[in-house]
Amino acid sequence: MTSVLLALRLGRWGIAGFSLAAAFSTFLQTVAFYQIAGHSPAQRAAFGSSIAALGSQVVALLPPPVRPDTVGGYVEFRGFHPLAILFAIWALAGATGFARGDEERGIVESTLAAGVSRGALIAARAGAFAIGLAVAAAAAAVGLLAGLAYGHESVPALAVFEESVLLVAIGLSCYAISLLVAQVPAARMATAAAGFVLLALYLLNSLSRVFESLASWRSLSPFHYYDASDPLPPGGTFDVRAASVLIAVAVLAAALAAIAFELRDLGSPLVRIPARSQVASHEVRGAAWWRYPILRGVYERRAAILIWAAGMSVLAVVLVSLTRTIVRVLLSLPNLLPYLSNFVRQQVYPGVLGFTWFNVAQLLFAALAVSYVARWSAEDTDGRLEMILSQPVSRAAVVVERMATLIASALLIAAASGLALYYASHVQGIDLNAGRVVAASLMLVPFALVFAAAGSLLAAWNPRAAVGVLGAFAFASYLDTELGSIYKLPLWVQDLSAFKLFGTPLLTGIDGRNLALLLLLSLAGLATSILAMQRRDVGA
Amino acid sequence: MLRAMPASAIRTSRLTKDYGVGRGLFDLDLQVAAQEVFGYLGPNGSGKTTTIRLLMGMIRPTTGSAYIFGLDCMREAVEVKRKVGYLPGDVPQFGSLRGSEIVAYLGGMRGGVDRATVRKLAERFDLDLDRRFREYSRGNKQKLAIVLAFMHKPDLLILDEPTSGLDPLNQQEFYALLREVRDDGATVFLSSHVLSEVEHVCDRVGIVRDGRLVRVAQLASSEQSLEEIFLSYFSGRTPRGLTS
Repeated sequence: MTSVLLALRLGRWGIAGFSLAAAFSTFLQTVAFYQIAGHSPAQRAAFGSSIAALGSQVVALLPPPVRPDTVGGYVEFRGFHPLAILFAIWALAGATGFARGDEERGIVESTLAAGVSRGALIAARAGAFAIGLAVAAAAAAVGLLAGLAYGHESVPALAVFEESVLLVAIGLSCYAISLLVAQVPAARMATAAAGFVLLALYLLNSLSRVFESLASWRSLSPFHYYDASDPLPPGGTFDVRAASVLIAVAVLAAALAAIAFELRDLGSPLVRIPARSQVASHEVRGAAWWRYPILRGVYERRAAILIWAAGMSVLAVVLVSLTRTIVRVLLSLPNLLPYLSNFVRQQVYPGVLGFTWFNVAQLLFAALAVSYVARWSAEDTDGRLEMILSQPVSRAAVVVERMATLIASALLIAAASGLALYYASHVQGIDLNAGRVVAASLMLVPFALVFAAAGSLLAAWNPRAAVGVLGAFAFASYLDTELGSIYKLPLWVQDLSAFKLFGTPLLTGIDGRNLALLLLLSLAGLATSILAMQRRDVGA
Repeated sequence: MLRAMPASAIRTSRLTKDYGVGRGLFDLDLQVAAQEVFGYLGPNGSGKTTTIRLLMGMIRPTTGSAYIFGLDCMREAVEVKRKVGYLPGDVPQFGSLRGSEIVAYLGGMRGGVDRATVRKLAERFDLDLDRRFREYSRGNKQKLAIVLAFMHKPDLLILDEPTSGLDPLNQQEFYALLREVRDDGATVFLSSHVLSEVEHVCDRVGIVRDGRLVRVAQLASSEQSLEEIFLSYFSGRTPRGLTS
């Protein structure tokens, strides 16, 4: 019990943050449905067919909507399915953070020294995460119910409960799988390995909706069992067997993780590659890379930058390859054109690519900025910042170098993905304006800079809370642009969103005012973070 | 060869860091002469690390001032750190970076690494610089911290419990290194829990209790052992024959 309470205490900010995100997400999507779906059956049917057509084009990534003309179907598609992905990411972070992060910090060693068995520790952590998931899923249900109250509608309580159970089951399943995978490699590879396995399982299921050859394999993916139920829409189903399989996967993977944990040494991988014997070296090698500001930061993150650049380039190619199909279907649905008029206007292909690729790229660049801020916060709490400041560098220089390193990294990733986009479009016979591809790709850099500047300020103010607060800020910023026009928010409020300020540069070029605002927000964040850094105590 | 230095390497005047509820450091007046090895003794939570972090400009004083070689520790922090080698009480975490990369990284911030000095230090403590930081044992992490503090031949070394985690052989090697750098003209400010260590290497000692400096003693001229002096301040007895 003590181990469960300790795990809950260690993860309390995650539980609070994801619960808030879940509640806001389902509430806002429910209310948004009443704002945009219309009130008459005919209006809702037209709206539903538009959403169904849109959903069918991203079926390779998300499950198709069921009855999106109803509030239950729409919120399940727009609110709960993305939450399942979000909970899977939370599970990945929570499991690898426990399996290897807490181990490196000595928390696991101390707990085991207190007489807790390894199996009991795994069970306690999984149990605590299940409690956290249940709280967040309940928050999502509360958000839905509050939104339904706004619209004076209702859905069966049992259906809401079943949808919440699905969220808990998929989250727990992903947690246990991540926990198992994290036991196998070295600590520094654990998160990447578990993330790779989860992504592969997700894509196996989602791509099997498009590629028949994968259909026979999809039962290996837990996401397949999540997809088997659609409890919220009228006449929806809850597949008890599929939900039970998710729970069984979680129990089995946690048990295997416990066995693997028993078999390996603390701090070591389960599978240890024999190290070649080598003579101890007392020499300093490769010093030139480390001598120059920015270059040393980029060099240190070289592997991560390569993975980001390669991953985003592949994604750009995939989305380009889907563009012709998307456009063909869009043009066959006249009632969808008004819905997409903001994006399409007169240039269909750049419009659609701008909508698909650059929307995804914005989310990923926001995530890139958050990952850098997480690193800055960790430097503070693990004593590395104190060591850096014991060298003859000013605090302002540290802040500026961090931001400059982010800019350099973002430029490299934007350049690689922009090149991939342009080349893949050319191969597909889609003529893009080269100047606009360059401009739009470059625009991703000041976009990321806004989040990095806000994160820099948060990291200087309170490093322990920085990532959570920045994540909430990014989420609010995204909701601002997605729902701002639906809720008719004042223009200046919508302009606070970096997603809104990014605009449609592939279609219309860079908006000078928006770029200036992005840079102004970044500069304001940079200046205030320098001030905050100079005034604060480090290492206290 | 001895280096020309100002008479006072460290000078603080009513230096205070008040964390509230009686915690912190209060009214510290301290002078450490150049080319001196000064030991800073006190139990856990007495204010040793707070003093060191104030000197390093990591935390801002509530009141008072601190100077290193005549330079203000907060306003002229960058200049101060050109002259200082620092070993923190908790070795920072460098994850999967290799020892040589950490040396190059922090050395790069000083304009480059003196490879010969690093090699000598690494050989002396038998530290494998090719290994990743997370693979180092606690003792090896401490050895790396020693290399980082000494590698640029600083004029002043500020060391927070420097032998923590070192085995006895490496402790002896460290004491020898301290004597060498002092003979070369460097000043050392060393905090420690280990009385024998301070007695072994220090010229003077300051004793801090509940955030206040209660005594500064010249060790060589004292009639008492350091243990007697120290215990007298933590068992309510008054020490005899000490100069403050």
